[in-house]
Amino acid sequence: MTMAVQKKICMLGGFSVGKTSLVKRYVESVFSETYLTTVGVKIDKKAVVLGDKTVNLILWDLAGEDDMSSLRLSYMRGAAGYMLVADGTRPATLEMALSLRKRVEAEYGQLPFALLINKKDLTEQWTVTDADLGKLRGDGWWVQSSSARTGEGVDDAFADLATRILG
Amino acid sequence: MDSPPPPASAPLPAQVLERLRTLLLADRAVAWLRMDEALLLAAAGGDLGAYGLDALEPGKPVVEQVHLLEGLLPLVESPYFVPSVEVIKGRVADLHFWLDGGETWLVLLEVTSERDMARRLQQKAYDMTLLQEREAALNRQLEAARRELEAAHEEVKRWNRTLEERVAAQVAELERMNKLKRFLAPSIAEMLMSSGDENILKRHRRDIATLFCDLRGFTAFSENAEPEEVSELLQDYHAALVPLIQAYEGTLDRFVGDGLMVFFNDPVPCPDSTERAVRLAVAMREAVAALAAAWRKRGHQVGFGIGIAQGFATLGQIGFEGRFDYSAIGTVVNTAARLCEQAKDGQILVTSRVATVVAEMAELADIGMLTVKGLSRPLAVSNVLGLKGGDQKVVWLGRQTH
Repeated sequence: MTMAVQKKICMLGGFSVGKTSLVKRYVESVFSETYLTTVGVKIDKKAVVLGDKTVNLILWDLAGEDDMSSLRLSYMRGAAGYMLVADGTRPATLEMALSLRKRVEAEYGQLPFALLINKKDLTEQWTVTDADLGKLRGDGWWVQSSSARTGEGVDDAFADLATRILG
Repeated sequence: MDSPPPPASAPLPAQVLERLRTLLLADRAVAWLRMDEALLLAAAGGDLGAYGLDALEPGKPVVEQVHLLEGLLPLVESPYFVPSVEVIKGRVADLHFWLDGGETWLVLLEVTSERDMARRLQQKAYDMTLLQEREAALNRQLEAARRELEAAHEEVKRWNRTLEERVAAQVAELERMNKLKRFLAPSIAEMLMSSGDENILKRHRRDIATLFCDLRGFTAFSENAEPEEVSELLQDYHAALVPLIQAYEGTLDRFVGDGLMVFFNDPVPCPDSTERAVRLAVAMREAVAALAAAWRKRGHQVGFGIGIAQGFATLGQIGFEGRFDYSAIGTVVNTAARLCEQAKDGQILVTSRVATVVAEMAELADIGMLTVKGLSRPLAVSNVLGLKGGDQKVVWLGRQTH
């Protein structure tokens, strides 16, 4: 029996942007309204079939970045790619995602990544414009709005990232 | 005498070490793994079950069995520490890696309670930060709404100013209109107002149809009747005729006592001016006939006659500052006035030119040649008996200035 391919993917972003909820939605297909902050890292596994390959995605859900505690980049060691997450209702979290990407790249070089602008379901508070997304895409970013509550855009984002990681 | 301090590297007594070991490991799940140079599992022990690692198989690649090790091996530095990893739900461990000879060691030291405590503090801090962010966002929305309200308020003020200006302009226009109406026929006043072109008032020549009418026997009546009766009769008379003149869009030039002068095709153009004059005359005759029947019952014998002529006249503003009239001057006016004088009760006398124009629509009776004052040659005159087929319609052509 051949071993399934395993790839480590890290979830990065500001605090309370929905990283844990996105993983929970992706792995368990559920959503919880209760916000529980992550300390350290939570590890989950999801097996996905891409073409004729089964890939075990080892998801490292890292504690959110804030002004007080900066990301422990050591968690990123061995990652094959990463998912940046921002909260579409809090513009500052998008800035943070952009800054994280620079720091990761400085430390680990260019890795496949995607940017999810989460909480798309909170349309009344949504502040990110299509123009903002268009500009990032113009810079070569893979950007997608998503909702962990409804599941919109979640599976696609992970599948696309996994595909790019496998090259 | 002070004794010298013990050297920092002095070994701790076995009892202290044992005590520290007990304190460190109390209520913590500890598991360990040892891997050979090929990263195959050499041995494992401790509380593996606490981390879901109780089915490990020695001799097999460790990364295939412990998925959290993906990407971490082989070690690039030793010792290597990964803090606070939730390996399975509710079980958190610090991961301690080190190399010993060719072998790689991993110890999972449980830190669940420390993680939980840190999380409680972190949670409070984040909740507070989120509340502050939300408050700031609401304040921004409030400020934006305030600015919007202020802008709307300014807009309303601008509208009010515009409205006041428009009202003032309209009031001024109405005042001007009222002033104009005092000495001009309503149709001329309205046209002046709507076109804003006072050139209409300038003297010009135009082919018009002119109608004169007055009451027969009015002088005798007014001599014998009380002034109030005369006034009442005139009021009824004017009330009956003026709306008809307006309905047929004639220009009421003047009325003096029982005499009225109306003309068509100026300033409001109408290509059927002669037909309109005749239709108006027939309608006037019917209206006055109804009034005369009532007057007769009160003992007043009053008749009604009309004269109509068509031709060129000079039209425009006549008078002096403060008392202007818009009027027509020319033979056509005199002719209509004289025909009116000659008309007997119920007659509508028209010139041959008028008769020719309305021959298709009106029943006419030839009166013959009449000599009228002010004209050197006698006139061929007809009396309009009525309209053919009860034709009373007024053709509306719309208003336009010449």
